[in-house]
Amino acid sequence: MFQGMNFAPAQLPAELESLRAEVREFLNAETDWQPNSDFNAGASPEFSRRFAAKGWIGMTWPKAYGGGGRSFLERYVVTEELLAAGAPVGCHWIADRQSGPLLLKFGTEAQKQQFLPGIIAGESFYSIGMSEPDTGSDLASIRTSAVQVPGGWCLNGSKIWTSNAHLNHFMVTLVRTAPATENRHEGMSQFIVPIDADGVTVRGIDNLAGEQDFNQIFFDDVFIADDQVVGAPGNGWAQVMSELAYERSGPERFLSAFRVLAEFGKSLQNGATESQARLYGQLVAHLVVLRRMSISIASLLEAGLMPDTEAALIKDLGNSYERLVPEVVRLYLPGQVPKGLAQALEECVLHAPSFTLRGGTREILRGMIARGLGLR
Amino acid sequence: MNEEQQLIGEMARRMLDDHCGPEVVDRAEQGDYPAALWTLLADNGLTTLGIEEALGGAGGTFGDALVVLREAGRKAAPLPLAETLLAGQVLSLLGQKLPEGPMAFGQGAVTLDDEGQLKGAVHGVKFARHCKTLLVAAKRGDAWVICQIAAESVGLTEGKDLAGEARDDLDVLVQVQPEACFAIDEAGLDAVLVWGAAMRSVMMAGALEEALAATVGYALERKQFGKAIAKFQAIQQQLAIFATHVAASTRAAETLMVQGEVASIDVAIAKARIGEAAGICAEIAHQVHGAIGYTRDHRLNHLTRRLWAWRDAFGHEAYWQERLGRAMLADEAGDLWQQVTALG
Repeated sequence: MFQGMNFAPAQLPAELESLRAEVREFLNAETDWQPNSDFNAGASPEFSRRFAAKGWIGMTWPKAYGGGGRSFLERYVVTEELLAAGAPVGCHWIADRQSGPLLLKFGTEAQKQQFLPGIIAGESFYSIGMSEPDTGSDLASIRTSAVQVPGGWCLNGSKIWTSNAHLNHFMVTLVRTAPATENRHEGMSQFIVPIDADGVTVRGIDNLAGEQDFNQIFFDDVFIADDQVVGAPGNGWAQVMSELAYERSGPERFLSAFRVLAEFGKSLQNGATESQARLYGQLVAHLVVLRRMSISIASLLEAGLMPDTEAALIKDLGNSYERLVPEVVRLYLPGQVPKGLAQALEECVLHAPSFTLRGGTREILRGMIARGLGLR
Repeated sequence: MNEEQQLIGEMARRMLDDHCGPEVVDRAEQGDYPAALWTLLADNGLTTLGIEEALGGAGGTFGDALVVLREAGRKAAPLPLAETLLAGQVLSLLGQKLPEGPMAFGQGAVTLDDEGQLKGAVHGVKFARHCKTLLVAAKRGDAWVICQIAAESVGLTEGKDLAGEARDDLDVLVQVQPEACFAIDEAGLDAVLVWGAAMRSVMMAGALEEALAATVGYALERKQFGKAIAKFQAIQQQLAIFATHVAASTRAAETLMVQGEVASIDVAIAKARIGEAAGICAEIAHQVHGAIGYTRDHRLNHLTRRLWAWRDAFGHEAYWQERLGRAMLADEAGDLWQQVTALG
């Protein structure tokens, strides 16, 4: 039977506004990058180091490992400010959002000691190794595999669509460590693979926009020591799935086209036609509601809940919105299109196809929502 | 929503579950007005919620009234509940005591002359024939007044809206006493529009939640090609889209419920967003239900016809989109992101 979903109204606590002001002040002083609100579109090791110096990478992690010990909602504020400003977050994004929390949850004490300080300092950057040339949405069909050897594992195979692997230091890689059984989700493990290890090759792939942000990465008899396995061998699938709500409900799932909307608004400051004002209002209404839904989920996550279906729903709705914004704004441009708007729009049109693919395709997300509705 | 609102919502839902089934909605459309249900709601204070007790109301906030209206929307309650609550807000704004019985507010081409004669026509007043009191907005010279009159004092031409609910035209020619006329400014009249839009927004949110549950239920029951149609990906994907818009509508509606006094910008957001969802979701609901959903016998039409009616009432989505857009653009103090984060 259909159960209602939980998007109970929640607000960011008012005391976070001073943190927000602090982030804005930091971002206002930044000068050496071009803004792009697509979190995948900019990566700057220098920026990530300056950002880390403020204590904003790993800010929710325990102080014992150098983390900030702050709340998930505080991180939410910092993150959304970064995206709205279009900061080049690509280098630290995955480590901060996913790899660090994964290590905290499933890693050994030694792994936490070894890997977390580098992330927090903005010195070590991570990629995710999930998709393969023959594995996209059907993640359980991965073929990259490892066999046990003295002291560790011998890894062979290939991962693809790994963002910024050419800039990053480690890849948390999902690998088959036991043959598939009837339960396809068994027998997978997560390894921390140093990208400069012997036998690892990175080959850049130009995306449609002509940028080199993603890669194919090859493993050729790469030795993985036992202490680079995250969690218990065989527990990889469960570990990957445990982070989905964090990955899917954040502001990066509806802010990728924000700069287009903001520039569109600026271009209408001196007068808007009825159609332009209407479109602007429509897109703002969607944005505000999406953000409120996302904050509702952030509050549930802060309370220790794991609302996977709601997170999938936000991502689908948010991604559809990100796809919509450039499609409609282009039809209602002012006569003289300001350079900032024209540039934001072109970038967004070229990046838009990725919005509904990365982090789970639209079709997979809708399948999850359907499951939540009790349809399957 | 706070605990009290949860309780209010549950109480309203229980009463409507027990006394406002599909047959009641159908009979109302045939002219059989559910007076007993009205009495039940009135006796429990649900028809005067959000109006202070000193004025004869049941107390509570406007948000509390919205909680009840979402339940009314869910059950397609064919009663002047929103109309009475809205008229109550108007009287409360004017500092006037509530009269007994159902009320409605109407605005049209009506004038009040110096001799106290109220004259003109008001089109499309929902449930006017079932009301005891009408509040008519009229022009007195260049200024606006609200006149409180007995419903039986006007000529009434019966009509109905898309949903088959009573919607009547008023032919007004009545002498009113000065103490029944209250000055109101443009801002006051705009507040009426905002309240009305907030009410229709939450009613649509309730109807959307119900329509989703009904459509999911139907997809699980209905078999074709040897299996429930819910098992087909084409259906699953459509219902997932449906659910995304319902979730957004619920969130936009609940934002209004948790506010004591609704902010007009949040009402603009809600009416624009939910109005858009209404069309998208009604389409999917009917597509999944197939031909049976296109009949009067099936109860889906109770919800979808109301969604189509309510999205146009108190400003359709294009009106609120433009109003919201202009409000955002007019604020030179902040850039868009500052405005969005300030909205919370």
